[in-house]
Amino acid sequence: MAGILIHSAVEQGELRAEFWELVTVARQLAPSVGGGLRVALAGSQLGDALEQARRAGAAEVRVLEHAQLADPWPEGHFEALAALCGRLDPEVVLVPRTPLGAEVAARLAIRRGASLVHDVTHVQKGADGITATRPVFGGAVSATVQARRGPWVIVPRPHAFAAAAPADGEASPVVREAFAPATPPRTFCGARTRQGSSGAKDIEKARVLVSGGAGLGGPEPFRLLGEVAELLGGAVAASRVAVDAGWVPTSLQVGLTGRSVAPDLYLAVGISGATHHLAGCSSAQVIAVVNSDPAAPFFRLANYGVVGDWKEVIPAFRDALKEKLATSRVA
Amino acid sequence: MRAVVCLKQVVDPLTPATELALDRAAKKMKPAAAGPPVINGYDEQALEAALRLRESLGQLEIVALSLGERFHLDVMKRSLAVGADQLVLVQDPSLDTPDSHRVATALAAAIRKIGAVDLVLCGRQASDWDNAIVPLLLAELLGMPCLTLARRVSVQGARVEIDRVLPDGSQTMWSELPAVVTVTSELGALRMPTARARLATARIQPKLLTLADLGVAAAEPPQVEVRDLSIPVAGRECRFVEAADGAAAGRRLAEILMEAGVVRPEGAR
Ligand SMILES: Cc1cc2nc3c(=O)[nH]c(=O)nc-3n(C[C@H](O)[C@H](O)[C@H](O)COP(=O)(O)OP(=O)(O)OC[C@H]3O[C@@H](n4cnc5c(N)ncnc54)[C@H](O)[C@@H]3O)c2cc1C
Ligand SMILES: Nc1ncnc2c1ncn2[C@@H]1O[C@H](COP(=O)(O)O)[C@@H](O)[C@H]1O
Repeated sequence: MAGILIHSAVEQGELRAEFWELVTVARQLAPSVGGGLRVALAGSQLGDALEQARRAGAAEVRVLEHAQLADPWPEGHFEALAALCGRLDPEVVLVPRTPLGAEVAARLAIRRGASLVHDVTHVQKGADGITATRPVFGGAVSATVQARRGPWVIVPRPHAFAAAAPADGEASPVVREAFAPATPPRTFCGARTRQGSSGAKDIEKARVLVSGGAGLGGPEPFRLLGEVAELLGGAVAASRVAVDAGWVPTSLQVGLTGRSVAPDLYLAVGISGATHHLAGCSSAQVIAVVNSDPAAPFFRLANYGVVGDWKEVIPAFRDALKEKLATSRVA
Repeated sequence: MRAVVCLKQVVDPLTPATELALDRAAKKMKPAAAGPPVINGYDEQALEAALRLRESLGQLEIVALSLGERFHLDVMKRSLAVGADQLVLVQDPSLDTPDSHRVATALAAAIRKIGAVDLVLCGRQASDWDNAIVPLLLAELLGMPCLTLARRVSVQGARVEIDRVLPDGSQTMWSELPAVVTVTSELGALRMPTARARLATARIQPKLLTLADLGVAAAEPPQVEVRDLSIPVAGRECRFVEAADGAAAGRRLAEILMEAGVVRPEGAR
């Protein structure tokens, strides 16, 4: 049992942004774990992601490329990784906290009898094993947990660690693996639908997010937020209440069970600021909050606050932006 | 057909952080401080999934199952009032724990004791520790397949089919029964009980079981121990925009953000 293995699934040839955060964690742990770093990439077409991952400074990149890994099929991705771990026997496996990654990590920990340390914001290894910090109770409480016995499966929280820079030197060698599950599959994938419809830009990549919540009262006001987002070259996001009500698609949800975002500006409109929501946006550079309730908890995390009704504030905000952006463009 | 729905009693996740209190010695949340507990939201949605299944199948026996240290009966009995046929509670001090193995072992034993279970419905995660691991462990212990993050659950013959929520859409998935399925909030909220049903279920007593009844041995040390809990004081200094009315505040906010360089003309970044 030795070494660190980073595992990441690749969709549409794109290396996930979290990959470089996992590299940071790996570099932090490397001196106390020993045995070097390996990377495993899984998917049906790795494309560009493979070349990028070869720059992580790993001893090698293991490629789990197979048509059956095209879907975010937890059992398949898990079986592929478990077989690889059987051969490499890593001491620490690092997996990104996506819905697929989290489930693959849990299944792997169960199969290997490994200790699962989930959603960590800080992690270190000492004589007593792994000690980590993680938010619990939706982020209201911070827990320090300890897992004495290895191997370990660690799932870092997105944006809790800085993205690492690619390493200098040679690109890592590539080793191709067969997809050889230990057991016949018991779960099966069918038709997949994508919600790209409303032209929703990927909110994880947008530099500006204009986010709406229950206070908007329905789907229509999200059009207004969309106008503001467009002026700022950003995208629209939302709270879970707005998603569960069917006003906007799930892909726009920010928070503990939605996306984790870190834009330059997060403008929250009609969102109360429950810890579960803040868990997904507290890494924003600047947070501005528009809420009619001066006691809304979101103000405690805001840089700028407007106590008011969005129906008055946002149209005027949009018009002022339009005007000012037009004049500054001329100037 | 028989379905078991696993319900966890948790501290109300909407309790404001300022009202939470910790028992740092026991490394637990102080239960009284946060008011009455609730059924974990996703587990309520799992129960709603079971009720919808019963409607579409015409017949389904629903057993609600919960493990914990101490139960608020009026909270847990809501499951009966909305239509569960039976409520089984396993009570033991060792069950108020973030140790997923302990919980899953006891749940598996209880499900075997209930017997002839075709479908186990769980929430996607418990809102206290957000582990999302008990259902996977449970499936492993029961030798069942596990489907996760269902926004819709249906049963045709010996097969369960779900719509699994993905970050960018959804995907149909299926497996043979018996199976474990976890439910996410997109499925929709649990229906309200009628006043009549509330009264009718007031006298029904849950079935109480002990770990000894289930043949579950004393707790082994957990793989992951909790060393400390604290309430972080995170915060930013909020500059409130002062203005005569909402519209003026909106204009002022635009100015402030531009002056601070947060908002720049598109393309200039
Ligand atoms: C385990 C778990 C996971 C969760 N995951 C997430 C998650 O990933 N993301 C998420 O967002 N939530 C999540 N939640 C839910 C979360 O706890 C809150 O319920 C949710 O974030 C509240 O959404 P909201 O702020 O839109 O609604 P509310 O809390 O109802 O707030 C609406 C706000 O709008 C304001 N308002 C009303 N009218 C106006 C007006 N005219 N002008 C201006 N303001 C107005 C109100 O003052 C209020 O503050 C989770 C919950 C649990 C238990
Ligand atoms: N003590 C418990 N009693 C009943 N069900 C539980 C318990 N703990 C966890 N579960 C079930 O397992 C799901 C996931 O829990 P967790 O893995 O702790 O996040 C919950 O949503 C419940 O359905």
